[in-house]
Amino acid sequence: MESLSRTPHEKKSLFQMIRKHNKKFIGLITTILALLFISPYIYIIFTSIKPSSDAISSTPTFFPRELSIENYIAMFDQMPILSYFFNSFITAFISTVLSVLLGALAAYGLARFSSKLGNVFLLITLCIRMIPMISIAIPMYIIINSMGLIDTHAALIITYTSINVPFAIWLMMGFFNNIPKEFDEAARIDGCNIFTSFIKVILPVSLPGLATTAIFCFMLAWNDFLFALLLTSTNAKTATVGISEFLTAYNLDLGPMTAAAVSFSLPVMLFSILVQRYIVSGMTLGSVKG
Amino acid sequence: MTRESKISFLFFAPAGIFMIIFLFFPVLLLIKDSFFQIDMMSQDSGTFVGISNYIESIKSDRFLGATSNTLIYVVVAVSAELLLGLFFALLLNTGFKGHSFVRTILLSPLMIAPLVSGLIWKFMLNSQFGIVNKLLYDFNITSSRNAIQWLSDDRTALLSTIIADIWLTTPFMMLVLLAGLQGIPITLYESAKIDGANKIKTFFYITLPSLLPVMVVAILIRTVDAARTFDIVWVLTQGGPANSSEVLSTYMYKTLTRYGEVGESSAMAVLFIILLLLLSSYFLVSMFKANKK
Repeated sequence: MESLSRTPHEKKSLFQMIRKHNKKFIGLITTILALLFISPYIYIIFTSIKPSSDAISSTPTFFPRELSIENYIAMFDQMPILSYFFNSFITAFISTVLSVLLGALAAYGLARFSSKLGNVFLLITLCIRMIPMISIAIPMYIIINSMGLIDTHAALIITYTSINVPFAIWLMMGFFNNIPKEFDEAARIDGCNIFTSFIKVILPVSLPGLATTAIFCFMLAWNDFLFALLLTSTNAKTATVGISEFLTAYNLDLGPMTAAAVSFSLPVMLFSILVQRYIVSGMTLGSVKG
Repeated sequence: MTRESKISFLFFAPAGIFMIIFLFFPVLLLIKDSFFQIDMMSQDSGTFVGISNYIESIKSDRFLGATSNTLIYVVVAVSAELLLGLFFALLLNTGFKGHSFVRTILLSPLMIAPLVSGLIWKFMLNSQFGIVNKLLYDFNITSSRNAIQWLSDDRTALLSTIIADIWLTTPFMMLVLLAGLQGIPITLYESAKIDGANKIKTFFYITLPSLLPVMVVAILIRTVDAARTFDIVWVLTQGGPANSSEVLSTYMYKTLTRYGEVGESSAMAVLFIILLLLLSSYFLVSMFKANKK
């Protein structure tokens, strides 16, 4: 009510002043809240570098009182964690290469030469993205079992690829649709056929799209727990299943568990900050445009 | 077939063949199995039992319990994520100094495995060594160090799994809503200012309605994802105690692996698929149109 009596000029400058301070204040509050928000993760990192007795102390502190690599040593002692990491990496890597390859080819076909069949497949593809993993896991388990592939890398590679291909198609189609058709036409005039123009012209232009797709495919496989739990036991056991085995009824392995959880996720976290541009474009593609 | 569709088919064929063998066939097998009584140990394909697997599932209290827990999980987790995500997105959208740095901090859990989120909260909510109980005690909220048995009390077990989900996926919600906010044309705000609308009015008459389409899609994506949750619940509680945090995914997993009931777990999986497809049909149609153009 008071402000009504002021002249317009005064009102504006006062408003701007409040606004200026407001922004600093909002920045401060948001920074504090953001740090609070990720504090659970920082707490796990700190715990992993505490001495093992401090990690399971009944009076836990946020910051380590003492630094130690005991938990990391215990992690290596208790299980062949490196081979689990290797299993995770090799299955994620091969399934990513396969998914991106198959997905990019299919998406180009659907985006450029859209046929009725293509549309039917696209719709089914989208439906498959909505299917709960557990529903695929049940028949997958029976098929893999009857193929005698339980506890092999092949079992996981096949599974991850089959889940990722529809996703890769859908994501790549979004990128291909953004490339003008004139690119193909120019390449054709220069003497390329459809396949060489795809490889020499379209793929290089859509590298950011391929990178985004690869990142998402890799992360799905790397982070998977359900299929690895169901389809592997010893030889092909992945890191997620291995880490979950630190959870025993007596809580004694919680220290090494934090070390394993950090070793598993910190590289991913740093990498995802590095490639945030691609992740953001992939995540907002469907939701904002659609 | 025209020349165009032939070429389209050629490009699509490798992925198509792969999907037919390893996706459509499994789904068909799932549907078939749901009508059979199957013994995992023997090699024969089981005996046909009609829809009795479905009837048994629907009638079982555990299935209904798991369904209602899944619903609670989805509704509570997604609403909390939406509010928190919107809150952070609005704060970041003010464009204060250093907002892109804060955005990076907030987005850092984006790619963390659900399993790891489960492990983090398993550790923090531990009744003996957990820091959550210690903080609650230090701030005089609870009267003893282990006043709340987060994961082993049937009143808090489901809530604990929801907390881990909210923590993990709020960044996604924030990211999508922030992109939506940045897409609102600035001219809308300018004309609102000219019309003399205050901040609250601008928020309810400009920001929210413009954000609505993005919000609906984000809610749908998260609803489908939250309904499929497995890792977080499995690591934190395995559905216990006394099935109090049992969700559909964990119940089906147990029905398959612990009880070897292929038929019944398949029937439940089919029901689950139908439920999610119905839920997301609006979303599917709009995505289909967007990509097809």
